[in-house]
Amino acid sequence: MKGRYFIIAAMALCLSGSGCRDFLDQEPDKILTNDQVYGDPNLIKSVLANFYERVSRGKTPDDKDYDWGQRPGGDLYDFTRLDEAIRYDFDNINQFDRNRWRTYDYKLIRNINQFLQGVKETKVLQESEKRPLEGEARFIRAWCYFNMCRTLGGMPIVGDEVFVYTPGMDITAIQYPRATEAETYDYIISECHAIADMLPAEKNKNSSRANRWTAKMLEARAALYGASLAKYNNQMASPIQTPGREVGIDASKARDYYQKALDAAQYVITNSPYVLQDKRPENKARNFYEAVCVKDNNSEVIWARDFSYPGQTHGFTKSNLPTTLAQDADGNYLSVLLNLVEEYEPVNTTTPGQGSKFEVGTLSSPKFYESADAPFKARDPRLGGTVMYPGSFFVGAEVVLQAGHLNEQNGQWVKREGDSYTSGNGPFYDPSKRLVNKTGFGIRKFLDETPSAGTIGRGSEMWEPHFRIAEAYLIVAEASLELNGGANTITVNAINAVRARAGVQPLTTVTFDNIVHERRVEFAFEDQRYWDMLRWRLADKAWNGSQSNEKSTRRGLWPYRVVSPGDPNNGKWFFEEKDMSFIYPNPLKFELKNYYSELDNSWLNNNPKMVKNPFQ
Amino acid sequence: MKIDIFSGVLSFSLLVIFAGCGKDNYDAPESVLSGRVVYEGQALDLRGSGEKVKLQLYQDGYQRHDPINVYVGQDGAFSAKLFDGKYKLVTADRTGPWVNSRDTMIVNVKGATTIDVPVIPFFTVSNASVSLVNNEMKTTFTINKIVPEAEIDRVILLLNSTVFVDDQINIMRKDFTDNVSPGTVNLSADLTGNTTVSSAPVLYGRVCVWAKGADQGIYSPVVRLK
Repeated sequence: MKGRYFIIAAMALCLSGSGCRDFLDQEPDKILTNDQVYGDPNLIKSVLANFYERVSRGKTPDDKDYDWGQRPGGDLYDFTRLDEAIRYDFDNINQFDRNRWRTYDYKLIRNINQFLQGVKETKVLQESEKRPLEGEARFIRAWCYFNMCRTLGGMPIVGDEVFVYTPGMDITAIQYPRATEAETYDYIISECHAIADMLPAEKNKNSSRANRWTAKMLEARAALYGASLAKYNNQMASPIQTPGREVGIDASKARDYYQKALDAAQYVITNSPYVLQDKRPENKARNFYEAVCVKDNNSEVIWARDFSYPGQTHGFTKSNLPTTLAQDADGNYLSVLLNLVEEYEPVNTTTPGQGSKFEVGTLSSPKFYESADAPFKARDPRLGGTVMYPGSFFVGAEVVLQAGHLNEQNGQWVKREGDSYTSGNGPFYDPSKRLVNKTGFGIRKFLDETPSAGTIGRGSEMWEPHFRIAEAYLIVAEASLELNGGANTITVNAINAVRARAGVQPLTTVTFDNIVHERRVEFAFEDQRYWDMLRWRLADKAWNGSQSNEKSTRRGLWPYRVVSPGDPNNGKWFFEEKDMSFIYPNPLKFELKNYYSELDNSWLNNNPKMVKNPFQ
Repeated sequence: MKIDIFSGVLSFSLLVIFAGCGKDNYDAPESVLSGRVVYEGQALDLRGSGEKVKLQLYQDGYQRHDPINVYVGQDGAFSAKLFDGKYKLVTADRTGPWVNSRDTMIVNVKGATTIDVPVIPFFTVSNASVSLVNNEMKTTFTINKIVPEAEIDRVILLLNSTVFVDDQINIMRKDFTDNVSPGTVNLSADLTGNTTVSSAPVLYGRVCVWAKGADQGIYSPVVRLK
């Protein structure tokens, strides 16, 4: 009995002795200390890679507070919010969501500031290696402020400070009030100006990292936004502003901002290695598609979110291929609206620089076209690089879009629609039928031609261009128009450079409406249209919610094939404008409150020094 | 002895379980705050759909400062169920067809409480008559300019098949932007060919006057036409 107690006591002693050994003190392999991260050049690089990834995220359940705009790799629903496209499902949306693209990411800004501190102190990098890394991090921070400012107006500028909270400290010292809208744009501009020289001037693989020209482009874009807000907000019947000018820029600042935008964009055009891509002058539509969507030997795109297989792919192509060419059980999600298509001007128009309607006749006096693509081939070639119209080709296969047949009956033309008359791609009149086109036009831009890029298993490597050189030209044109007028050579030459590459006639003088038109057709689906309409304060006028306003209603153009043996028009095509209210019953309605997002109540509770936005 | 401990623990935990229910639950709010948005004692006719016209209630003394939104109906009336207490009431910033004034009203809610919220609209619509004559919507009304600087952006004639009629919820909308000025106005909308309107079994109509730069328009009362 006593022996047993002894054994137990001995074992307990053994255990207590061995407990002191370090088998419980393992190094965590998921948490790295600052010293570990900033003691290894590869880890430093991966921290930076993480920042790039974080500025290309959509809303997730964990991170409700940011959404970085319309992106092929993001939520495709974003593309259906404007006068560019609709989806195949019924949607009774009747207003804009002012918080849809709201960005509020001070967590990212804090992490970037930690990174800047770590890079500054590290001993494993040479000073010459540190500078470009610091520049890149500061660029992403400026990009973050820019995305916040265009949705929310001026927001707190925290500089390089890394805030640390220790319990019991005075929290109000680290609660910053909002900067004014002008101060925030000024900060973005001065940051970009300062880091341009720290960043390399060379291109990098697939333009996925920021370089000197990216910084200059953001400088130009931020200055242009500030300039147009200063000018056009103050032309409203009742300018949108807060008493402290967290929203609202003084009109007198417009000129200075336009000048800054002009200088930065001109600097990129003159000095950068990027040129308007024009490698296929014989096929301008193809040329435009390749300039925006093909990465190899691209001379156009300055900065893009890149994707690569395996691991980094998205489903844009899978979701948008025409049904007859689909590579998986999906397709035809987006249908492009006639509103956008008719904005592409006829090549031989007498009024260059503006769109025009398709004169297609009516059922009682129809106009017949020799082929399905005839009306569209006569338009601005950028249409073919942006939109999949009836009779266009995708990787050698024709895209048949046919709403039905047109038959002759007792001397009258009759439309026949339905399963055997309508193409498998649509367009089809049934709000509940999915996977078919609804307007007569599909999307071409960002559709990946790589084999099996349209499958769920592989996905598409299509990039998301943020800046391309065409924008520099159009910034020069817009800023110079505002500063020097529409007949000035700088204005005219800049817009004509873009138009010549596109394959449309040059302009002799430039109006504001020409700029609006040019940006709309050049940058369709590239996350520019919405912000342009906001900064020009045109959104509430164009999208006023009235059924009788063609800019706010959604329209399609349906193709019918003439099937009438013996008739001279047999085999030709007839088109009819179609109101999309059967699937989108409500017109686009943009209200004054939509110009700025709301500040979330949880942010205001955490930082009571921030004031609310107008209409909140 | 053992049983005593067991029953002791049991009765204690039962006590905790039952007492817990009373401890952390509030009764639902019972007091009703109701009222109208008025100008010179007259309730205003507004847009009632889409949570567009709203008031905000704040209460001091709590950690969070989220407003309670109170939405105003198309006859200018609103109501909210609240706890008794002292609230601050403001109109939401720049929403509504009136001069934006963020003056705080102190509201003491105790049981059923009724208040009027006075505002200064840019315009009012009075003596409105809306009728249907031979496929035409005929209206006569007086636009009164209340704020001297205000300008008319547009006047809208509206029809709908339900009692809710506004610039968004309608089956017929006609905008007039030119040659509309304060005073007595006669406007009509031709309904020929509008099958939605002719096939509607019931029709309600009203007119709307929208001031330049305003977020909302002011309306006439809803009239049943069919």
